[in-house]
Amino acid sequence: MAVGRSVPVRDAEARVRGTIPYLADLRLPGMLVAKIVRSPFPHARIRHLDPRPAMGIPGVVAVLTAHDFDRPGAPRLFYGVDRKDQPIVARDRVRYMGEPVAAIAAETPEAAEEAARAIEVEYEEQPAVFDPVEAMQPGAPLVHEDCPNNIFLHTRLRHGDLEAGFAAADLIVEETYTTPPASHAALEPHGVIAWWEGGHLTLWSTTQAPFVIQETLAEIFGLPRESVRVIVPPLGGGYGGKGYVRLEPIAAALAWKVHGRPVRLILDRFEEFVTLTRHTACIHIRTGVRRDGTLTARQVEVYWGAGAYADITPRLLRSAGLVRVVGPYRIPAVHVDAYGVYTHLPPAGPFRGTMSFEGAWAYESHMDTIAHRLGMDPLELRRKNILRPGDRFCTGEVIDEAFFLECLEAAAQRLGWGQPYEKGEGTRRRGRGLAIMMKSTLPRSRSECRLILRADGMLELHTGTVEMGQGAHTALAQIAAAEMGLPLERIEVIGPDTARVPYDATTSASRSTSMMGAAVQKAAARLKEEIRQRATPLLEANPDEIIIQAGRAWLQGRPEIGLPWEEILRRHGLEALEAHGVFETQGGLDPETGQGIASPHWHQGAGACEIEVDTETGKIRILRYCAAAYAGQVVNPALAELQNQGNVVFGLGQAMMEQIVFDQGQPANANLSDYPIPSLRDLPNELISLLLESPEGSIHGLGEMTLPPVAPAIANALFDAIGVRIRDLPITPEKVWRALHGDEADL
Amino acid sequence: MAMKQTFELRVNGRIHRVEAAPDRRLLEVLREDLGLGSVREGCGIGMCGACTVLLDGRPVSSCLLLISQVHHQEIVTVEGLGGHGTLHPVQQAFIEHFAFQCAYCTPGFILSAVALLEREPDPDEQVLLEYLSGNLCRCGSYLNILKAVRAAAQGRKPPSS
Ligand code: FES
Ligand code: FES
Repeated sequence: MAVGRSVPVRDAEARVRGTIPYLADLRLPGMLVAKIVRSPFPHARIRHLDPRPAMGIPGVVAVLTAHDFDRPGAPRLFYGVDRKDQPIVARDRVRYMGEPVAAIAAETPEAAEEAARAIEVEYEEQPAVFDPVEAMQPGAPLVHEDCPNNIFLHTRLRHGDLEAGFAAADLIVEETYTTPPASHAALEPHGVIAWWEGGHLTLWSTTQAPFVIQETLAEIFGLPRESVRVIVPPLGGGYGGKGYVRLEPIAAALAWKVHGRPVRLILDRFEEFVTLTRHTACIHIRTGVRRDGTLTARQVEVYWGAGAYADITPRLLRSAGLVRVVGPYRIPAVHVDAYGVYTHLPPAGPFRGTMSFEGAWAYESHMDTIAHRLGMDPLELRRKNILRPGDRFCTGEVIDEAFFLECLEAAAQRLGWGQPYEKGEGTRRRGRGLAIMMKSTLPRSRSECRLILRADGMLELHTGTVEMGQGAHTALAQIAAAEMGLPLERIEVIGPDTARVPYDATTSASRSTSMMGAAVQKAAARLKEEIRQRATPLLEANPDEIIIQAGRAWLQGRPEIGLPWEEILRRHGLEALEAHGVFETQGGLDPETGQGIASPHWHQGAGACEIEVDTETGKIRILRYCAAAYAGQVVNPALAELQNQGNVVFGLGQAMMEQIVFDQGQPANANLSDYPIPSLRDLPNELISLLLESPEGSIHGLGEMTLPPVAPAIANALFDAIGVRIRDLPITPEKVWRALHGDEADL
Repeated sequence: MAMKQTFELRVNGRIHRVEAAPDRRLLEVLREDLGLGSVREGCGIGMCGACTVLLDGRPVSSCLLLISQVHHQEIVTVEGLGGHGTLHPVQQAFIEHFAFQCAYCTPGFILSAVALLEREPDPDEQVLLEYLSGNLCRCGSYLNILKAVRAAAQGRKPPSS
């Protein structure tokens, strides 16, 4: 069986030889290099912009400004997947430091650099606002004039009688948690090659969403979709940062000006920091609880600072931004208000563990505060309230596949929760903490694929799923192989390329293995039917007496009477036989009440850890971390394990190290020296990954589940160790030290 | 821009003559002029190790070196390890131990590991950290990278008894 086996990724050899072709390795004849001219101010009026000095520089082929748009035959300036609020290059106003105001295509990087310096821009600085809560106050500078209070969207979830819930409580606990902007920091930067030939646009892009790019660019240029082709090379990491539309519009517009020659745009590390960040979030959470630990009501207000453009945030707020901030608990009354707020910072978007990370930071830290106030064990409090199979979530949907408690207990048990341990002394103190999280995947989305059996016996799998290191192509090939009973070597994966493969919504929200996997299963069933039909006349039997498996068609009970699939194709004079598979999920939430179906299934992950904190320096060492995820049916155990470890490592950075520091809108640490990401030295002394399998369960994506619990588990362990509660991420030594020695000391 | 000069580089056992300004970064020379795609830019400031090459056997960040600084020196990139159809034992160990996800960091880690094992055939954990912590893996494949390097070290030991 190909499923359930740890096979190496398909192109493992190319990966260790360094020959795997990332975008930066592609070379096209006559390729030009692009450079973006960016705003030095977070908010300013553009008084004057003169591209002419750049045009005279030898080697400069084209300069793109806002004047090139919105004329007959020209592309549209504004785009956006939800609100069309973002200009491809700024016209009369810049709204974040780093916003593109012009772009250059040149023969050499040197010429492009020189041209970028030569463009004259005169700005008039304007007052700016960076914090979402401040941005909502009356009188705050407006980011978009047509958006009062800078709130572009307010979504609600209403479940049960909140007042009655709080009235029934013996204790009400109210807290505020925040998370700062962070950088995805994929080692491979964003890149695009755009090429116009005739009326056709071809893009090679480091995107997780080729079909979204295709649709958006067709709209910008007023073209039928088929005239835009998007090809995605393997990605050097994505983590959500390469989701949706990024550099493609500006690269395509520049290539449109050049016409006939490919234009390549690759960001440098600084530009990465101002292209997309994690949201700046502020979460007020208020919970009513009875003396025995029963939760009675929860109210959450969350302000999602989205930066200067709404980008994908409105879509996120209609579901993820509501349901990912509540927690996997049975609570009779829940109200959530989520606000999408503009600020003068770079746009924010999906980020590994999107919105669950922020949600779990608040609700799981908060659960420990409640447990402490009640004098209850944190695990006990959770056990008492956690969602179990058949329970109703605050969206009204019944959760059938609920393994939250199992995850939490697996992690806790492995840590030795409840057993005595060395608490440390003097300046070294130890503590333990745990956390659980619940994450929706995308409702209402579609994945399609095609299976093509060739006359040479090879099976092609055409898929729009992007391979970004998560091993999705390998897992999908394993599913195809298992369904068809073929060895893995006979599967070839093709795509993503919008001209060759059928539609897929995106590679995000850990949806690919599960949704695309289901599409593959459907296509395989159909392909077997196709083969059966062709085999029937040749075997002179009833179709239902024919077994189609493992590369052959044979008569039931008489395996000697049969034909290889290749032979069947040959006898029919067929080059290939193909079948299409579609998997679609339904659902969605009512916009006023947040009731409905938020997710076809739920991601479930827990963490439990023991830490040691040095009270003299505030430094935390993680002695042991146990990460448990509900994995359902596991396609490739080694890859699943690797994803799970990756979650914890990534989560450690988010928990303890990472924050883009904006000083009056200027990023102060936009490089990998001042913005450190986890290295080998930051690993826990011991990292234990636990995957809860269930052979009858569905296939789950595992690239996020155990990430959100990391920060609250550490914060809870810190509280346990020294009685300090950190509410603003990241948990840096300095914050811990300050909390200990004054300033924010609490409880 | 500085005037172009001719430099002689010894890369993966072959001699290349490269016309370049003396301040051209080694990273660009290897990638753009010599087409060695395994040398990758991650940070551009010596922090991530994605651009690691071996310079006379030492792992160095090619983003920090200028071509004029490596004239005549011996450079090895991952393309120079292993041979046709065969992999270097460290490469093999990286596959066997699933030591990568996106693999953008992999050539850098492999070269650091090769340099490590040349000098310290039997590294303890401290030495492993010293050699490998200059390379970053954003996908977080560290545990498996350590396993792979330990296994490669084991494989080099003469069979005991
Ligand atoms: S690119 Fe050279 S060390 Fe990061
Ligand atoms: S495997 Fe992706 S950066 Fe290391």
